[in-house]
Amino acid sequence: MSTEILRVEALSMRFGGLLAVDAVDFEVQRGSITALIGPNGAGKTTVFNCITGFYRPTGGQISLRRADGSVASLHRLKDHRIARAGVARTFQNIRLFAGMTVLENLLIAQHLKLQKATWHGIGAMLGFPAYRAAEAEAINRAVEWLRATDLLDRADDAAGGLPYGAQRRLEIARAMCMTPALLCLDEPAAGLNPRESDDLAKLLVSIRDGTATRSDPTSILLIEHDMGIVMRISDHIVVLDHGKKIAEGPPDLIRSDRHVIAAYLGEDEDAA
Amino acid sequence: MTSPPAAAPHAFQPRLLAALLDASKATAVAFGLFVVMVGLRTDVGPTGALFLRTRWPDVAWLCAAVFVARLAMALWAGRRLPAVGSARRAAALSRAGLFFGPALLAIALILPFVPGIGRYELDLGILVLTYVMLGWGLNIVVGLAGLLDLGYVAFYAVGAYSYALLAQYFGLSFWICLPLAGILAAFWGVLLGFPVLRLRGDYLAIVTLAFGEIIRIVLLNWVELTGGPNGISGIPRPTFFGLPFSMSGGPGTFAGFFGLEPSPSHRVIFLYYLILALALLTNWVAIRIRRQPIGRAWEALREDEIACRALGINITNTKLTAFALGAMFAGFAGAFFATRQAFISPESFTFIESAIILAIVVLGGLGSQIGIAVAAIIMIGGFELFRDLEEYRMLVFGAAMVTIMVLRPRGLVGSRAPSVVLGAQRRIDAQHVSEGRG
Repeated sequence: MSTEILRVEALSMRFGGLLAVDAVDFEVQRGSITALIGPNGAGKTTVFNCITGFYRPTGGQISLRRADGSVASLHRLKDHRIARAGVARTFQNIRLFAGMTVLENLLIAQHLKLQKATWHGIGAMLGFPAYRAAEAEAINRAVEWLRATDLLDRADDAAGGLPYGAQRRLEIARAMCMTPALLCLDEPAAGLNPRESDDLAKLLVSIRDGTATRSDPTSILLIEHDMGIVMRISDHIVVLDHGKKIAEGPPDLIRSDRHVIAAYLGEDEDAA
Repeated sequence: MTSPPAAAPHAFQPRLLAALLDASKATAVAFGLFVVMVGLRTDVGPTGALFLRTRWPDVAWLCAAVFVARLAMALWAGRRLPAVGSARRAAALSRAGLFFGPALLAIALILPFVPGIGRYELDLGILVLTYVMLGWGLNIVVGLAGLLDLGYVAFYAVGAYSYALLAQYFGLSFWICLPLAGILAAFWGVLLGFPVLRLRGDYLAIVTLAFGEIIRIVLLNWVELTGGPNGISGIPRPTFFGLPFSMSGGPGTFAGFFGLEPSPSHRVIFLYYLILALALLTNWVAIRIRRQPIGRAWEALREDEIACRALGINITNTKLTAFALGAMFAGFAGAFFATRQAFISPESFTFIESAIILAIVVLGGLGSQIGIAVAAIIMIGGFELFRDLEEYRMLVFGAAMVTIMVLRPRGLVGSRAPSVVLGAQRRIDAQHVSEGRG
């Protein structure tokens, strides 16, 4: 497992006069959990939005190498094309389809596959068996992820009516229903209590290893402030500060890196 | 001063005072309105000159009515009942709703043969069903996809003029023009959709409003093609699959072919069933498509557009299909309107029509099929019912709309039925469902 799934090269993002991300390079290894950390305003979410296509980067390249060896240049694609290329994401402030049921949320995530089975809507309109089979398969997949995220008994409830922690898990389940090559999570543990964070950590590890459902192992890129989780589950950590990468490496190395400590504790340049 | 609940008899006095004050305020507002609206009236005198007539007693009566009603309301609201059992009531309502839809359909199916239903009632039925169909068509755009369209009548006009012009210039029959009218309207829907896709909320509403007006003004001014304000007359009436409804009763006519006594009511009954079939087609498509990926994508778009993009849904295409499909049904309805009236002019496609259709969708409950049908019956049928009230008709109409919105702010049916379930079917409360921001 030494090949990379995502390669970010010299990524820059400028908003007017502000250089939010400045020539950042990093890689996400296939089958790993890579964490992107840094103090507030370091540019983590900006990097994230560039990767998932919500921003178009000012400079640099982002390439996704899929399991079959093909490479997608994400910096050239529109957001919905990036999702189709195999990048799924969650949001810092949860974005579920609140008025729809949990199950419906998971079926919308499988929209592309289902839409193909409808024969431009006509097959499904007339109830062709091919579409019914596709829908049954999609429901099966949704049920697997509901089981993995412990939401099966809430399947027919409105997503907006779930407790906060369950909404976080549902957003991850929804992203995973897309069968992504890379799962990008923006602060998945924000607002969770210690017990829920613990469960989340286990869930993420099982997603990485492909044991959560019968799915393939999925690489994860993660933004997180909860250092307990980051240090426990990450295989690789990238630290940003003021839009620049200041350190990179396995958790043990990052923990003792003086640049990182300086950035987090806010020491002066000369004091560090 | 607030008194503890134990001292109820003493608490009565301030409440009555507050209610009186409130009622006086309402009466003052009513007086301000009625003095101009009811109190003063211009009439044509015997010499043909206008003169001002005053009706102060009417104003006094209305103000007194407002005072009493407001006072009663304020006192009644003081002992507001706790909202217990509302979940059970909702469940009972939804169970009743299961029978309500089929019952309504059965009544609609046998209506022409119910004794006492004459020409006038059937014509009203046709009108109501036209609006039911338009409401169901607009519901796809506004209720499902959450795109606020204030110019829906433009597609209705496109459908009507498509049939009228194709029949006039090329002599095409109604049955060929009906699908063509739908396709042309859908085409205009896509044409409108492209530039407005990047707009959201209020901006989208304004542009669709403008589009509706542009279509009407073009129809009004392109005199060589459309006849301008004179409209198009002599539009061919529909035939019963080739058999005309003629009073001659010859062998080639509907009455002659089936050996019936020629009667003008045959055509009305036929038109009634035609619009009923068209409306039911709209309903069937809307219900089926809601359970399909594209229908779910529309609803997802209404709930959260950004999340849709992150899930790989092509926003542009999804919005365009909603626009095109909604427009197509308006086109069908327009072709029907043209053949029923045999005369169309831009007068019939003013903004007020868009507003009425939108009001039907909003009052019925965004996304609810049965709610929209009931709202159309109330809005169009009820409006006819109060015809005897003459100028007060609008007042009653406005009051009815306000009442519905106060009692049921999310429309008659505000809850949402899931498109797919694992266990038992349960409705989703309106508080979770988004109204869409364009």
